[in-house]
Amino acid sequence: MNHRCLSGLLFLTAATLTSVAEEPLTFERDVRPILKTHCFHCHGEDEVTKGGLDVRLQRFLVKGGKDGPAIIPGKPDKSLLVKLLRDGEMPKEKSKLPEKEIETIAAWIQAGAVTARPEPESLEDAPLFTEEERNWWSFQPVARVAVPEGTGSDHPIDAFISRKLKEHSLSFSPRADARTLIRRATFDLTGLPPTPEEVDAFAVANVKDPEAAYAALIDRLLASPAYGERWGRHWLDVAGYADSDGVTEKDLERKHAWKYRDYVIQALNSDKPFDAFVKEQLAGDEIAALEGVNANSATEEERARYAELLTATGFLRMAPDGTGAKNDLLTRNASITDTMKIVSTAFYGMTIQCAECHDHRYDPITQADFYELRAVFQPGFNPVKWKNPNSRLVSLQTNEDKAKAAEVEVEAKAVEKARLAKQAEFIQIVLEKELLKVDEAGREAVRTAYNTTVKERTPEQVALLKTHPTINKLNAGSLYLYDSTYKTKYNEELKAMTAEAAKIREKKPVNELVQAFTEAPVKPEAIPATFLFHRGDPESPKDEVKPSDLDVLSGWRKTDLPESLDTVPTSGRRLALGDTLTDGTHPLLARVMVNRVWMHHFGTGLVKSVADFGFLGEKPTHPELLDWLAQEFVNSGWSLKELHRLILSSDTWQQQSQRDEIRDEIDPDNLLLSRQSKRRLEAETLRDSLLAVSGKLNPAHFGEPVPVMFTEEGQVVIGIDTTDTAGRQTGKFLSLEGQEFRRSIYIQIRRSRPLDLFAAFDAPAMTYANCEIRPVTAVSPQSLLLMNNIGMREHSQYFAQRLEKECAGKSTEETIRHAWKLAYGRNPSDSELSEASDFLTLQTASYTVEPTTLERLSGPASTEIASPHLLGLTALTHALLSTNEFLYID
Amino acid sequence: MVTRREILERGYGLGAIAVASLLKEQGLLANPQVAGSGPQHFDLLPKPPAHGFGKAKAMISMFMQGGPSHIDMFDPKPELNRLDGKDFPGEVKYDDAAGASSEVMGSPWAFKKHGESGMDFSELVPNMAGIADDITMIRSMHTGVNNHGQSINALHNGTALTGRPTLGSWLTYGLGAENKNLPAYVALTDPRGLPVLGVDNFTNGWLPSVYQGTVIRPKEPRILNLDPPKSLKGDAQHRYLDFVERLNRDHADQRPGETELEARIQSFELAARMQVAAKEALDINQESEATLRMYGVDKKETNDFGSRCLIARRLVERGVRFVSIFTGNQTWDNHSSILTSLPAACRYVDQPAAALVMDLKQRGLLDSTVVHWGGEMGRLPVIQNRSGAKKGDRKKVGRDHNTYGFSMWVAGGGFKAGHIHGATDEFGHHAVEDVVNHYDYHATLLHLFGLKPDELTFKRNGTDQSLVQNDEARVVEGLLA
Repeated sequence: MNHRCLSGLLFLTAATLTSVAEEPLTFERDVRPILKTHCFHCHGEDEVTKGGLDVRLQRFLVKGGKDGPAIIPGKPDKSLLVKLLRDGEMPKEKSKLPEKEIETIAAWIQAGAVTARPEPESLEDAPLFTEEERNWWSFQPVARVAVPEGTGSDHPIDAFISRKLKEHSLSFSPRADARTLIRRATFDLTGLPPTPEEVDAFAVANVKDPEAAYAALIDRLLASPAYGERWGRHWLDVAGYADSDGVTEKDLERKHAWKYRDYVIQALNSDKPFDAFVKEQLAGDEIAALEGVNANSATEEERARYAELLTATGFLRMAPDGTGAKNDLLTRNASITDTMKIVSTAFYGMTIQCAECHDHRYDPITQADFYELRAVFQPGFNPVKWKNPNSRLVSLQTNEDKAKAAEVEVEAKAVEKARLAKQAEFIQIVLEKELLKVDEAGREAVRTAYNTTVKERTPEQVALLKTHPTINKLNAGSLYLYDSTYKTKYNEELKAMTAEAAKIREKKPVNELVQAFTEAPVKPEAIPATFLFHRGDPESPKDEVKPSDLDVLSGWRKTDLPESLDTVPTSGRRLALGDTLTDGTHPLLARVMVNRVWMHHFGTGLVKSVADFGFLGEKPTHPELLDWLAQEFVNSGWSLKELHRLILSSDTWQQQSQRDEIRDEIDPDNLLLSRQSKRRLEAETLRDSLLAVSGKLNPAHFGEPVPVMFTEEGQVVIGIDTTDTAGRQTGKFLSLEGQEFRRSIYIQIRRSRPLDLFAAFDAPAMTYANCEIRPVTAVSPQSLLLMNNIGMREHSQYFAQRLEKECAGKSTEETIRHAWKLAYGRNPSDSELSEASDFLTLQTASYTVEPTTLERLSGPASTEIASPHLLGLTALTHALLSTNEFLYID
Repeated sequence: MVTRREILERGYGLGAIAVASLLKEQGLLANPQVAGSGPQHFDLLPKPPAHGFGKAKAMISMFMQGGPSHIDMFDPKPELNRLDGKDFPGEVKYDDAAGASSEVMGSPWAFKKHGESGMDFSELVPNMAGIADDITMIRSMHTGVNNHGQSINALHNGTALTGRPTLGSWLTYGLGAENKNLPAYVALTDPRGLPVLGVDNFTNGWLPSVYQGTVIRPKEPRILNLDPPKSLKGDAQHRYLDFVERLNRDHADQRPGETELEARIQSFELAARMQVAAKEALDINQESEATLRMYGVDKKETNDFGSRCLIARRLVERGVRFVSIFTGNQTWDNHSSILTSLPAACRYVDQPAAALVMDLKQRGLLDSTVVHWGGEMGRLPVIQNRSGAKKGDRKKVGRDHNTYGFSMWVAGGGFKAGHIHGATDEFGHHAVEDVVNHYDYHATLLHLFGLKPDELTFKRNGTDQSLVQNDEARVVEGLLA
């Protein structure tokens, strides 16, 4: 279980180990963090203080424990602490401390073992955290920063960036050319390639008035519904969206999760202010109570608002949850912990979940903090009265519709009842016919035996019936078999009645269900209590805790959260958390979000560790810019679209990405941003691009996910699973009728069966709650997929068919040009043109000699020989779709 | 053969990049893996170690995630049997306080000495007992970080932190690969699931992507997309590959310094060659009946692990540098019902693991191949009782984590044979003699491969990073043959 805590520790750098040579060493800044990490647990925090030594204050070190003083100021070599550390005797049973840290401690003792300020009288009254911890950058109020002047840049972002570039003798790279810009912007904002027409139009407009053309471009892209599908995907990573429960082998499907996905897309497309977006996801149900909307509200609009608010809380139900298959305390607790991880990384950019078992090893987050935050969600989770995933679905049906449904059900039941009577009647008729075959003398005995219920039959009756199998076996299930014996149509008649009942049920108003997070409205005293779990073990509850934001912030803002609010029938705790997070002065939420947005625009965040703003994360490369952006974001009314406009209108973003030796020498990782960075398409964008270029993209929005299935070879592809109940392949094929060409965000995410292309290209399978940051790999299975996957071949065939259609009657050269423009948004060079032409000729010729059929990934194989022309073009398009130019954005 | 000078002087009418790549193909360029800033070229070409002392060329690590109980398998403790049921006479370092108990549990399994070396094995691992004289049993392993994730990291990347390059990445970074048709670093995962920490078990961390572990799937097809579509076979595919490469080269030439573009060109080339080579390498049906039986491929219980061990041998035989064979999430984490769960785990691997060593030996590969068998921890001498079982009822009890002293075995590649190294205390709780820390183990491994930790470095954020970061690390002479 402990491994969960490590995922946030990805970025340890020299920065966290910096020793300060210039200023005098102090206990609080230089020594305490070392001791906190390695020693506090046994020497201070634990119930029993080992060796009677508490190392949490300088004073205690001087005083020492059973073995005398731990330090003698001015005399490191005589100090027991230094000796034990140097000998590796402490920390007991752990690796010796790094030399650097030991020497820092020694140097501090040498210089007199000074403290930054007088130490507290006792630790009980003392603040939980040192000033250094409370002063950590990400816990500070967002600073009101002035845009640097005199940098020669008009744009605020450019002013911040160029100031730093100048300090390192660097300058911006030139603006990227028109084609690169529109390609970059279109992928960035919509996750799709621009069409050749769009590229051409922009190139022309760019010549006339670059600024106006560019602004118009960004406006158009932000207004496109594809924007929400692109940026929604980013948020779904953070939320850990999936269409299945995960955890157990069954990996049960979540049939209603997709409504949350649609909520996210719609929220982004309508530029719902981010503060509202956050609050709705945390407390949509409570906001609904405040707004007075519910399933029975009078107007359609109000009911839709209720549905929206409830759906938003699906965010808190995204974590893996095994309780549908294995509903025990540990499984429940694991799902709550995963939700805490999601909340923590999404809104705090901290690894609060690492304090589940003990105080955070590195950050000023106590174990109590973890449970105090958990207390906010406890009334909804209520692990004691836990509802499994299906029983917690919320119906959006109005009372009126419910009544209507009940009426319909009565009607249907009546038909079913009549059907049963009819069935019994038929059975009796058949029985009598069959009895005629029995000797008259024995007939009555057989009749009696048959009409006696199975349980009550005597052994003699059982034996008797066995001698008359056609009677013995007569029952509702076998009745249809007698139709052919007696030339009757009983079965048909009964079936018609079943169909009639089904037809009646169809009249029922649809009962829409949402996967939501709700609380049972209870009196404040009945709200389930939250306990701190000893070592994170849900079976070892200790002290009760009250809801609160992180204590480390208590120095300058209110952190207590109400246990219950009068304004709503539920506890209101989530409402209160949402309010405090979005009050515009919370130090984390706005910083964390602008940083995420920055990462998606540049490949790397201003804080590289986007989900860890703590001591083990990276510090911001441009702290002032980060704060300025966070402030601007809040001031703009939390508008994400304004934030995109702001960033994309900067020179910083519009630079070309070309490397050169000087830039690589001074800034190999491009932290200072003297150029853009090349980006590989994400898995979903890759697939969407394949569809867009081949002309097959089905632009439909929203709705149930498009299913995935295993092929006989064990690959996971898009398709309707037709395996039988025993999991065997039936070979049956059901067409998806164009659904298979939907955008990737609409493809089902089943945690145990990630689509092959997604898995190969680093999309998260969401097995570890959520995905804070995606890896970018380049292993050979990716190349094998591009090269040999039948699905790739299918895309290439569609692309080739598109070329045949759009270039009918045109020269080979023109066809190649068109292919280039579709795939890359540019014209081929002369040498590319001639190489492609040669390639096309050779491939086409080979298919003339060795004819073959088109490839199909699923469904019946094609038997018709394809034209060599089409196959040749397929070879060309397949090559284009396999290249780095297709896969990377400049 | 064309000489380096000829190529450089005449250029053979090729572009500069082509020349460089031709030189590298022929091993004529100096070792390119010199850390420095600015654009660098990274590849998997074989790079012989600078020093002549290494015998090892490849490594197979059978990573038993979860923590096999050393005191029930390799490290007999009669004292525990004497104290069985009594209170532990000292302090126990528990990980799970909730299930903590001070009740000593002697091993319920009988130990015997085996081989000329007289190495101890319990009845749980009769096949491993058979290779006693080929292996070194390290009984004094220590990482000191008492949970799975951190200790896994310690053994894979040398620190308790996630995100650093793993051993296999370092070795392929330093030495390249001997076979250019197969991935240099392969991870063979368990059909029952990934170990704790998932793909971080074979990550390249911040080393370039070409040093990433490539997963071979636990089920057929072991590698997806190895077969070309019927319309892209033979010459058609050759022409396709040539054309894609030309486009990619032009593209990369116009974007100098982008190592990832270069890595992808290489991965494409590798993929093309893998179509034939990987298929052949993974086809264990080419093995004789006797070999298949030896690995237990014929039996249900050992079929999976046996197949993967056999594949590992076939890969190493073909020049793959590093192969990890993982057992699934927590196979060995016997917190409860150890009486049944540990024997089951042993049956899953015992025969195949022993077969791997014997097979490598009979093929003359053991001298140049390091074999490792072990997990990230061992287990405590006392019972762990999460089920609340009554005293004396051992059916449901288990043992908790112990990273303070545990066993693992190594063989081949220059490790001693038939040797027991180090010891734990009389209870098997703490390593007390000749302690081997994870960093000592890494330093020793690098030494066997002819590498020095302070020379195998990668520059990052202005500092030289290496696998062995601990100043205390030493090559453990006692382990060397």
